Amino acid sequence: MYKYILQSVEGIQLFGISAFLIFFATFLVVVYRAVRSSKTEMDHAAHLPLED
Amino acid sequence: MSQVQQFQYDNKIVRAFGMASFIFAIVGMLVGILIAFQLIYPDLGFQAAFGKPLPAFLTFGRLRPLHTNAVIFAFVGNGMFMGIYYSLQRLLKARMFSDTLSWLHFWLWQIVILSAAITLPLGITTSSEYAELEWPIDILITITWVLFGINMFGTILKRREEHLYVAIWFYIATWVTVAVLHIVRSFEMPVSMFKSYSAFAGVQDGLVQWWYGHNAVAFFLTTPYLGLMYYYMPKAANRPVYSYKLSIVHFWALIFIYIWAGPHHLLYSTLPDWVQSLGTVFSIMLIAPSWGGMLNGLLTLRGAWDRVREDAVLKFMVVAVTAYGMATFEGPMLSIKSVNAISHFTDWTIAHVHVGALGWNGFLTFGVLYYLWPRMYNTQLYSQKLANTHFWLGTLGIIFYAVPMYWAGWTQSLKWTEFTPEGILKWGNFLDTVIAIKPLYALRAVGGSLFFVGVLIGVYNLAKTAAQGSFLSNEAAEAPARSSSAHPKGEYWHRWIERRPMQMLLASTILISIGGLIQILPMVFMDSQIPKISTVKPYTPLELQGRDIYIREGCVGCHSQLVRPFRGETERYGEYSKSGEYIYDHPFLWGSKRTGPDLWREGNKYPDSWHYNHMYDPTTMSPGSIMPSYTGLFENVLDISTTEAKIGALRKVGVPYPEGYEQQANADLTAQAKKVAENLKSQGIKDTQMEDKEIVALIAYLQRLGTDIKIKK
Repeated sequence: MYKYILQSVEGIQLFGISAFLIFFATFLVVVYRAVRSSKTEMDHAAHLPLED
Repeated sequence: MSQVQQFQYDNKIVRAFGMASFIFAIVGMLVGILIAFQLIYPDLGFQAAFGKPLPAFLTFGRLRPLHTNAVIFAFVGNGMFMGIYYSLQRLLKARMFSDTLSWLHFWLWQIVILSAAITLPLGITTSSEYAELEWPIDILITITWVLFGINMFGTILKRREEHLYVAIWFYIATWVTVAVLHIVRSFEMPVSMFKSYSAFAGVQDGLVQWWYGHNAVAFFLTTPYLGLMYYYMPKAANRPVYSYKLSIVHFWALIFIYIWAGPHHLLYSTLPDWVQSLGTVFSIMLIAPSWGGMLNGLLTLRGAWDRVREDAVLKFMVVAVTAYGMATFEGPMLSIKSVNAISHFTDWTIAHVHVGALGWNGFLTFGVLYYLWPRMYNTQLYSQKLANTHFWLGTLGIIFYAVPMYWAGWTQSLKWTEFTPEGILKWGNFLDTVIAIKPLYALRAVGGSLFFVGVLIGVYNLAKTAAQGSFLSNEAAEAPARSSSAHPKGEYWHRWIERRPMQMLLASTILISIGGLIQILPMVFMDSQIPKISTVKPYTPLELQGRDIYIREGCVGCHSQLVRPFRGETERYGEYSKSGEYIYDHPFLWGSKRTGPDLWREGNKYPDSWHYNHMYDPTTMSPGSIMPSYTGLFENVLDISTTEAKIGALRKVGVPYPEGYEQQANADLTAQAKKVAENLKSQGIKDTQMEDKEIVALIAYLQRLGTDIKIKK
């Protein structure tokens, strides 16, 4: 029974749900922007290690 | 166009970290081999050769944390700094911010390692896995880490290259997360110079521990090495990373998801279900960014696979990244509750971590070393052939290590849970399940030794390389000064943050904090929310001293104190564990491996004399046992001068000893010790004058374990 003790904390299930929503929103933004990014910019960045 | 500036890269600091990494690879692995052989020959032949058992400082319990700390913080830690100090300067086109800080960082880090090498065999330990070092060393680690941070961010600020390459984001995330983890895990109440108690108790301590422990793997063993992968794989293959876009998604998704996964170390424990589920869900999601990163690394070799056949550097790197892929697929699988029910507490976990440590960290470090040494010494590698030999010995070593451990893990789990048709445990004597896997332990020791021989060959090869070349302490370079020219409107958003290290730091900090806060903060509620079990009381002074001996000897390395709610466990050990039973456990001692049986319901299972004989020579009570003899406990007089400070420290972290109990504690301790000594006498123990010895305290503690909710006869 002690396993379920936090169920008595009001709105505890929101912690799990909010965790997922925060992650998913962040993830979508990152993916969207990464996909939209310009190829030349990306190529420049990718070549940085080879330039020294 | 700005003027071209001349400057020099500091190679000396890179070499220093590289040499330290190799030296501690030898030390850490040697300790590993030593304890691997102890599981086959418990006293390593000491009894036969010297007529006395293994000295306490060489026992498995005390050396196991030395092995893990040496490999993680000394071998991989120095390897990480080597890789960062070399690549950071070149990616930023700048010498390190301050040579003084570089060397302070180097020497303080070696002092931390030396302190660990001295204190851990002496039994000075907090017992929290990978955070065993006591509080003064924790402070030294903090100082060193801050100096490293100042040096790194100083370099970033005075850089000539505007854009921060993906490797550097990983370095930044590593720095900030390790800082946060280390500080929170180090909340402890000092008792003396060499002893402290965790500020957290029981299940809370467990959650903080595995939030820390898991993310030590994530942010000490993984993110910095991913940074190294993103720099050295393209360098070695001489082509850019496969997809820079993928690296962006990889970075943000990985650091954000990783921080939530810790609770998968506590499945089926007394941790609330919702936290366990959160840990499982995020662990499974972790496959995506992990494999995204792995594929990004491997696909960097597109069109260059033919070179992998010849180039030892690429060979090491390819196997490293492949091992990373295997370990990061396995990890999420192990986080599924039904799989974890099988793997947890068994050698499966040991196999899993060694694929990561030997394969991913070990091989990537060797790849980078083989890449750097010829370049810094301005010569060719002394022998490609020896490097190949090292590679094959290492690869075979990993296989000979991992396969027997997988087999051992599955064997353990099957035997622990096997019932006869009549419904009784088929392997009721735990020891039988240990003896069954001893041949596999022997094979593992062979595998580890193979890997070790490979490392020795590597050291020889690099020493010869150094001897035939001449070291470039300061490598000349030139680059235009950083121009703050206007950036086109509507530029790609991520470029914006790539130019701003402080914003990058802030964004990483926010992302990695969310997971910790959401999981750990509600657990703070628990103090008021958890109904105390009325019969659960704080430890008596004698039991407390016994518990500290249990911690000192590293018993937690082989014995868990957590009965999971499975029939196989409740039949074997007794009633499954409840959160309320552990509220005075600073620190918690659930452990993560059962080389021996669980001890949570050990109290009152056997008479005092059983423990007395068993601790003196385990084979008298359990023939075939691989537990070491603890004869020292029968000679050492229990130090009761610490009792007062211990009671005081525990009260400060919330254990309800009455005010002023310190003064009475030692009288209670002596009275209880006398009682144990009388019990021993009445049970036929001939030795006299035992009541002031350490063994009595340990027996008192063992007999208390898990008895608070048992119905007393």
